[in-house]
Amino acid sequence: MTPAHKQRLAAHAFTLGALALWLVYSRIVPPYQMPGPLPVARGMASFFADRLALGQLLLSLGHVAAAIAVSFLLGVGLALLAHYVPVLRLLVYGRLTPFLNSFPGIGWTLLVVLWFGLNDVTVIFAVSAVLLPFALVNMREGLQSLDGELLEMAQSFGRSRWGRFRKIVLPSLAPFMFATLRVSFGVSWKVTLTAELFGGNGGLGYLVNVARQEIDTALIFAAIALIVLFVHATDRYLLTPLQNHVFDRYRAL
Amino acid sequence: MSSIDTAPSERRLAASNYLAGGGWAARVIADGAVAAALLAWWLASRTLPDFVLPGPLKVGADLLTLFTSPALLAHTGASTARVVLSVAIALALGGGLAWLARAVPVTEGIVQERVLVFLNSFPSLGWAILAVIWFQVSTFSVVFVQVAILIPFCLVNLGEGLAQIDEEIVEMGRSFTRSRWRLLTRIVLPLLTPYLVAALRISYGIGWKIALISELFGADTGLGYLMIQAETVSNATRVFATCFAIVVLFTLGEKLVIDPLARRFARPS
Repeated sequence: MTPAHKQRLAAHAFTLGALALWLVYSRIVPPYQMPGPLPVARGMASFFADRLALGQLLLSLGHVAAAIAVSFLLGVGLALLAHYVPVLRLLVYGRLTPFLNSFPGIGWTLLVVLWFGLNDVTVIFAVSAVLLPFALVNMREGLQSLDGELLEMAQSFGRSRWGRFRKIVLPSLAPFMFATLRVSFGVSWKVTLTAELFGGNGGLGYLVNVARQEIDTALIFAAIALIVLFVHATDRYLLTPLQNHVFDRYRAL
Repeated sequence: MSSIDTAPSERRLAASNYLAGGGWAARVIADGAVAAALLAWWLASRTLPDFVLPGPLKVGADLLTLFTSPALLAHTGASTARVVLSVAIALALGGGLAWLARAVPVTEGIVQERVLVFLNSFPSLGWAILAVIWFQVSTFSVVFVQVAILIPFCLVNLGEGLAQIDEEIVEMGRSFTRSRWRLLTRIVLPLLTPYLVAALRISYGIGWKIALISELFGADTGLGYLMIQAETVSNATRVFATCFAIVVLFTLGEKLVIDPLARRFARPS
């Protein structure tokens, strides 16, 4: 047996062991403290069987997608602006980014609730505010690593500003844009749950809050397990292969 | 959150060059924009009621009381102590797991593919809710939430550090001494220090970010508790003030403790 095999075997054994431990422990303590794997699995299944719950799930997905789009466009726009107008760099990276980076996400949610009330705008605003610094940091990394020599060569070959941007800058930035989207995806789910709990009138976070008030721990577990599985599966089976593809495609540059 | 890079000092140098682009004009614009934002905030707050947008002066005054009034300082101090404690525990546990994965190769899959993946995708709010159900309202509950969120960041950074350690150097050390303790303190730890500082920097930043969330349900002291209390009575001034208190505390710790540490222990390049 190769070491890689052994590792995989150990990991699977660990999973089984953890599940078994969970099952045993859930038998000992009351279900509101630790529901067993079966009730949780049933709770997860009910998300797809129940049209209302499925609607909440899709609503959360919509919040996530909207917030990623807003923060991505803003982040890329601001980063490009600061790149071409260097005098703004200190403002964007020395003032705005640290501020957004250290301002707590939950603070945004509570404040925006006071401004806009409990609705979709509140959730999307709060999540976008949290995601924006991630986009800025990633795009800055990309713009910083632009190959000056390559751009110079293009200039001497008479490429217009737009041509240089389209043929060199954008392709060089593609991997960083992708990294931005990937990081945003991971972070956004966690933040969306919080934002929906305090500032939403729908979505998984809202459901979790209802479950919390009714001490329906099985439903809380089900919602969390759904998020963990969904985030992990998307990252592993969709985003990672895509990212490798993007990296290969533009490595030649 | 792989956007946060792990240690290299040369990248920081490139970063400062990139920022230096504008000279004094950039400073004027940056600080001018901050001043303009404050002014706009002040103007807007004059026409809006306090529960929607309190003015900067009001928020500033409330922020000050968070650090001066003994009753409120107790809350601020409680939050700070919890963050520091959680970061320390998370560094120890994350480091231990990273070390386990290296020292006992068969566990690498468990640590990297199970524990890390699980902790990494587990939503922080989930921990906050579950911790209250399991441990009631207590400091332990808050620290538990923070440690659970911070471990993956410590694990990734310290794992990276351990992977970078030059086996040849350790080998050489082994030929001089048999004491594992000496090997650890004289060779492994010094080589690991830049990564330890990076892990400290990242987990300290995230620790403050999630300090509020971890105190929302599971605490009856701390800034998160103050904030949720203020929210229920629509006291926007206090909500703002607690947020800025976090910004202030985070910045102070980074400038006064972490940056000096990073300068002291940065890899000579």
